[in-house]
Amino acid sequence: MNIRVQREELLRQIGYRQPPESRLLKMIDDVLALLGDLIEHKLAFKVIQDEQSLPPFLVGAALKYAGGATLGQKLENKVKELFDEEKPAEAYILDTAGSIAITKAGDALWSRIRQDAASKGFRKGMRRTPGCRGIELDTQRWIFEELADPDLGITLTESWMMVPRKSLSFLARFGGKLKNSFSCEGCPQYADCTLRG
Amino acid sequence: MTVDIIKEIYDAVLEGKVDEASNRVKQALGSGVDPNEILNSSLIAAMDVVGEKFGEGELFIPQVLWSAKAMQSGMDLLKPSFSSGEHAKKGTIVIGTAKGDIHDIGKNLLAIMLEGSGFEVADLGVDVTPERFIEKAAEVKADVVAVSALLTTTMQSMGEVVSLVKGRSLPFKVIIGGAPVDQAFCEEIGADAYGMDAVDGLRKVKELVKR
Repeated sequence: MNIRVQREELLRQIGYRQPPESRLLKMIDDVLALLGDLIEHKLAFKVIQDEQSLPPFLVGAALKYAGGATLGQKLENKVKELFDEEKPAEAYILDTAGSIAITKAGDALWSRIRQDAASKGFRKGMRRTPGCRGIELDTQRWIFEELADPDLGITLTESWMMVPRKSLSFLARFGGKLKNSFSCEGCPQYADCTLRG
Repeated sequence: MTVDIIKEIYDAVLEGKVDEASNRVKQALGSGVDPNEILNSSLIAAMDVVGEKFGEGELFIPQVLWSAKAMQSGMDLLKPSFSSGEHAKKGTIVIGTAKGDIHDIGKNLLAIMLEGSGFEVADLGVDVTPERFIEKAAEVKADVVAVSALLTTTMQSMGEVVSLVKGRSLPFKVIIGGAPVDQAFCEEIGADAYGMDAVDGLRKVKELVKR
């Protein structure tokens, strides 16, 4: 899987609705040219069989997953290097491109999980990230203990932050009855949620 | 001549042309233009407009960073012209990312803009304890402590920074910023200001230092 970030989506993410001046376009193109060599993305997911000590979000699901994705450390090292070289605009643009890329990596991971779920007869599912909407941040520990994939290359800090920073993790559930406290209808972001399957 | 060169420096900062700004400031100083006029009528005036244009959605972060760099290049040349550098120094800021949080882009952007505007900046990095903020602020006699956080789970330690400052009646103002923070949270924890983004943060720090 290749993760590509297009100039137009990067411009939109920064805020531009019209093409900016040519030297900025050149800077953006130069940064995007670096991106391919800087992304060392890895994805991992696991079907959860264990019914003991499940995070509340997964309780009652017919099919349960934990997943994680990262872009690797190289990109972050380059962002730091650019800041240290007093090239903050380039650093900011590269970091923003990284944010787009990790979102795409997360989408790719979700797509793989959904394919796996579909092969088991499940079509509708949802995912949630620790720290958001009722999922305690310390669920990170549970996720990475379940994944137990040293090749993924994500470590956790004492406060459950992922390193490299351009990483993500989530729980996913398919089938079964969701506890009311996690039901979609009760969520303030229900109307425009992109996470529902 | 003076009016022309002042305008040229102003334009260079506005357009984020670092070398142009630096060369024009050198030229102005060589021609005997008052450093105060260069500072106020060119550098600060242009950066103020950059901030306004950012607020109005005409400019975006990369261009603001270019302008901040252009301003800083001019400031560096002006510093020797002011006795012991004090005139050019606008204040001292201790900045860092809140305890438990390791995200630093927003914090880095504000630090660059503060330096570009003539502030002394002590950057403590990420995952900074409230005690460390206070300790450093006392050490460098800071005017403002700036605390950034990206997550709702880490923004709570901002309140601890404020509590330490207020509880000990320390002479520092506290500004907070970051994605999960808003004016209501700022008021709830008793911080002195909230910066919506790096440019707004710079503006608020300037206001805090003036108080």
